[in-house]
Amino acid sequence: MPQRDVEISISRTGEVKVHIKGYKGKACTKIGAFLAGIVGKVKSEQLTSEYYEPEEKAAIHLEQKQGK
Amino acid sequence: MSAILILTPLVIGASWPAISAAAAGAAVALGLVVRSTAKEEIATAEEELAVKNSVEVEVKNSEVLQNVATEQQIVLKAQDGVEVRVKRDARGRCVVCASGQGKSKAELQAFAERFTERMTQCFVYNRVMTELKAKGFQVTSEERAQDETVNIRVRRWEG
Repeated sequence: MPQRDVEISISRTGEVKVHIKGYKGKACTKIGAFLAGIVGKVKSEQLTSEYYEPEEKAAIHLEQKQGK
Repeated sequence: MSAILILTPLVIGASWPAISAAAAGAAVALGLVVRSTAKEEIATAEEELAVKNSVEVEVKNSEVLQNVATEQQIVLKAQDGVEVRVKRDARGRCVVCASGQGKSKAELQAFAERFTERMTQCFVYNRVMTELKAKGFQVTSEERAQDETVNIRVRRWEG
């Protein structure tokens, strides 16, 4: 199971810095949007290299053998 | 790493219990005690206010639910005689009023601003923690830095 970590810093004025880790691809934008919805509005957003990696997908490889 | 977001807090659509909880959190942090939330006490406080210096600070980006009565407020008392009242104004915004005899307007302004900041921080903290726990995140560490920033780490395992 993949581990998802989020680091949250709430400054003395209530401004929030969120560092989302462990999400690849656009999956991180979901948790980002969720947190933005809780706190207020997005002041700035910085996407890191992991964002551009392919998303994790569960794949099942099926092989059909030709019958006689 | 995936993303880093900076979010500005909005105290919009806040219920009175959520505001009260945040005000209580700020009161504990700044050494104030709840004097009363009852209307009769508030009337007395209004009379006393007439002979004291007072300042009012608006909580930024705030809008308390419309069904909260304007008479609804929280009265807090500091040891040095400063009194803080948290209330909803006629426009629906949350305001913090600080008053005290023998205190200058500048001192009261600074205290009200400090209380407002801490109350906003408590409001955001309560909201974030409640929602993240509901989403299945577990707190792995939490600490308050010297600059009063609260640093929290949460984790979730996803199948």
